[in-house]
Amino acid sequence: MMGIDPGTPGGALVALLPEVLLTAWALVVLLFVAWRHGSAHDSRLAGALSMAGYVLALLATGWLAWQGARAEGLPQMIALDGFRYASDALVLAIGLGVAILSVRWLERQGILAPEYYVLLMLATVGMMLLAGAADMITLFLGLEVMSIAVYVLAGYDRTRRASAEAALKYFLIGAFASGFLLYGIALTYGATGQFNFALIGAQLAAGEASVMARAGMGLLLVGFAFKVAAVPFHAWAPDVYEGAPTPVTAFMASGVKAAAFLALARLLAEAFPSFVELWRPVLWWLAIATMLIGNLVALAQQSMKRMLAYSAVAHAGYLLLALWSHSDAGTAAVLVYLLAYSITTVAAFGILASIERAGARTVLLADLEGLFSVRPFASLGMAVCMLSLLGFPGTFGFIGKWYLIAAPLAEGEVILPVVAMIASGISIGYYLPVVLAMTLKPTRTRQAHQTIRFPGPAKLAVAICVAAILVLGFWPRTVLDFATQEAVQLRRVAIPILTR
Amino acid sequence: MDAFLSAIGYERWILHVLLALPLAAMPLILAFPVRFARWIALAVALTETVLGLGLWWAFDPANPGLQFVTDVPWLGAFGIGYRVGIDGISVMMVLLSVVMMPLVVWGSWRGIDTKQRGFYALLLALKTGMLGVFVSLDLFLFYVFWELLLIPMYFLVGLWGSGHRLYAATTCVVDTLVGWRMMLVAVLWMVQGVGDATGTYSFSYMHLLEHADVMSPWASWLFVAFALAFAVKVPIFPFHTWLPDAHTEAPTAGSVDLAVILLKMGTYGFLRFAIPFFPGFALSETTGTIMAILAVTGIIYAALVAMVQPDLKRLVAYSSVSHLGFVVLGIWGSTVESVQGAIMVMVSHGLSTGALFFMIGFLYERRHTRKIADYGGLARVAPLLATAFVITAFSSIGLPGLNGFIGEFLVLLGAFGRYPWLVVAATTVVVFSAAYLLWATQRVFFNRFTNPLNEGIGDLTRREVAVLGPLIAAMLWIGLYPGPILRRTESAARQYVEMIQPHLPPAREAPVRVAGVAP
Repeated sequence: MMGIDPGTPGGALVALLPEVLLTAWALVVLLFVAWRHGSAHDSRLAGALSMAGYVLALLATGWLAWQGARAEGLPQMIALDGFRYASDALVLAIGLGVAILSVRWLERQGILAPEYYVLLMLATVGMMLLAGAADMITLFLGLEVMSIAVYVLAGYDRTRRASAEAALKYFLIGAFASGFLLYGIALTYGATGQFNFALIGAQLAAGEASVMARAGMGLLLVGFAFKVAAVPFHAWAPDVYEGAPTPVTAFMASGVKAAAFLALARLLAEAFPSFVELWRPVLWWLAIATMLIGNLVALAQQSMKRMLAYSAVAHAGYLLLALWSHSDAGTAAVLVYLLAYSITTVAAFGILASIERAGARTVLLADLEGLFSVRPFASLGMAVCMLSLLGFPGTFGFIGKWYLIAAPLAEGEVILPVVAMIASGISIGYYLPVVLAMTLKPTRTRQAHQTIRFPGPAKLAVAICVAAILVLGFWPRTVLDFATQEAVQLRRVAIPILTR
Repeated sequence: MDAFLSAIGYERWILHVLLALPLAAMPLILAFPVRFARWIALAVALTETVLGLGLWWAFDPANPGLQFVTDVPWLGAFGIGYRVGIDGISVMMVLLSVVMMPLVVWGSWRGIDTKQRGFYALLLALKTGMLGVFVSLDLFLFYVFWELLLIPMYFLVGLWGSGHRLYAATTCVVDTLVGWRMMLVAVLWMVQGVGDATGTYSFSYMHLLEHADVMSPWASWLFVAFALAFAVKVPIFPFHTWLPDAHTEAPTAGSVDLAVILLKMGTYGFLRFAIPFFPGFALSETTGTIMAILAVTGIIYAALVAMVQPDLKRLVAYSSVSHLGFVVLGIWGSTVESVQGAIMVMVSHGLSTGALFFMIGFLYERRHTRKIADYGGLARVAPLLATAFVITAFSSIGLPGLNGFIGEFLVLLGAFGRYPWLVVAATTVVVFSAAYLLWATQRVFFNRFTNPLNEGIGDLTRREVAVLGPLIAAMLWIGLYPGPILRRTESAARQYVEMIQPHLPPAREAPVRVAGVAP
């Protein structure tokens, strides 16, 4: 156990060590690419550097977690607890995975602008700040750093109209969401005079629920619902996911969603625990609508990226179940499910990225036919991903689903788990056809799948993800114990302040 | 035999070997060249049959409880274990599964000529799943096995099926999965509730059964969730819509497995889990009447629909719905006779419907059509096939002296005390089932030989005789001498009825007693 007082400059540096390291590294890479700009070799080098940066930040996070760093003194801007370290590690691992997937892919697509990796790292810093924020200002700062970098990344394939369209749509909707969020922060501040989550929680618990505080919370929820693409705030997701470069789509579907959910979990648990009766019904309806509509619309999709986009919407609905529970089990379920979902999403998009050809870039379900006979390992990996998203026993996705529905059940809620299970039952109707098309249908033409390029690093990253899905599906003990222990710390922060 | 089996420690390893063998053989099939695939599958299936048949002797008919029980922690911290065992209800299902195994492989010998490796590998996976469902004594394990079945089923129907196979496969798995996931919620809820009350969070069947009464305030919801999962699979009347499509489009092996084993998992689920957990609600006056009415509606409605089907396979599919209605009626009849009758119908429906599907498959391999109108007068060119079909049709109708009669008679007899008018209504189906099957037999095998395309059809080959022979022998044997099977199911059925007795509303005595069955 290491006490840190982030109020002092030295303490702040230690508390923010992973973020500071990654930011500094991003700036170094930015300098590097200013000189070495243009050839495929440079782009590859920048990618390797960014991976080193991610590893460095992961080590720093691990060190903080290992030291058991905890906050001392007054309430702070950034959280220092196991939940933040778990969030940071998750977000960093996603960033690392996406960086690895991007390396050769960018060359193949002819996108030779290595600033890509700088933006990726800065977006990750934003996610870490967002997920670790203990204060409204940090929350907003993280959100904006993340969003602005991701707006640019979504439009990174400048020559393609779909990519530009995705960036513009994402930017407009994202700006709206930020507006809602900012207004919500302002109203909450107006009602309580506080920015810190724990202090807001203490104020709200002491006083009555003023209209201003309630409106503030409502606007915050709307802002987050946009970010996580919950129905009815999901309309941007399919177009943006489809248009963005595929590794960026993987980043948005896993990283952005994870960061927003982690931040929302902390916000609801620390700042608004006394409003639980107010936000629960909101999340309840959001979850029901998101799960059902996401899954039903996904059934009709032919484009793989669009299908995965709607499936990402549906998974946001499942995750809302865990938030609804407002319990330690629920928080643990958020961590477990996000881990399962992120690993699977990164692997699935990684495989999809390798199938894409320069030029014709939307992979349809029919394009996967007969993949197994040409690329058996890639299609087995994809099959594992689909089964994991479906929540099939033996994959980590099943463990995640199990935790998700056990959490509200323990609170005595039955309808949410029932709807979640109906929705996931529907989802077999679009996950299994992928497996079927790949393994058991004949290839359309003799030349099919000959253009697939699976570069070594991406192969390794996907293999690790797929292995993790299977291994954690059978031996989830360690992860579950960790998640349960770390999640328990979330709610403890507010208590000492409340009793003071 | 007994001494030999106990000398080799049979009861300690048999269930694990039965479960593991097909899974272990899957990689073998994929590793060897295509031409070995069906041979490996056949070898595995025959091994399973030889090993599994030992259960017939090793199983102790006098012991009403669970036998061959193994309990090994798996995910111990969550109360999940590898818990398996069998009793008089499941032993029949296990035996039926292992006996059908080589027949299914053999029956597909010629029909499957594409992607053989995948086909036989999936067939073996299906076997493990089916056996697993019948022997699991841990609800988590049960759920896992049950879901494990879905993937092979989906592929078997979706790839080697005919016509609208993708539609059929999708509706089949979506309907089933939605029901099963309801059950998962119910199981987790129960584990949570029982755990809160007793301090032990466990998925063990015994543990949950012992303490199921703490969940009684929510019994109605939990029962509905379980019942939905099982009712879709049986299928009970309004949930049957996926079945005709799946049956019709599936390849022969898929139809046979579906009819013989998979449908029984639903009724088995009622007997093993849904009713024993929540007897108070499940057997109450209202629920019982609803279930019995649905069962009898299914019996009559499906028989009437079967009568007008132009497609042979669809006709048999609807007859399945009708027969399974008897099983449900028998279960809710809640007497030793009716429960034994239900188990008997499960077995004999497996034999006769399995044989019918095989024969339709053989016809389809020859002529690539299942339309009744395309045939006629086949008895002239295929006398053996016609004989086998007529015997099987009689068995399916329930002619005394063949297996179909025993089970349905016991069900009607046992359920009469509780639902006299419904039983009277259900009895009329004998007329309808005779009508649809005999009429179909007449149009396919007798009538005038009109279609010259049928000229070269040829009679049963030796392989086909080998597939049908054991089934027809079993039909005759059970029909003439059902004693050995009834003896093996009796004590389990009796214990089941004694367990649920306190929850039963009073009923009248059955009209007749059967020696050797009733008390």
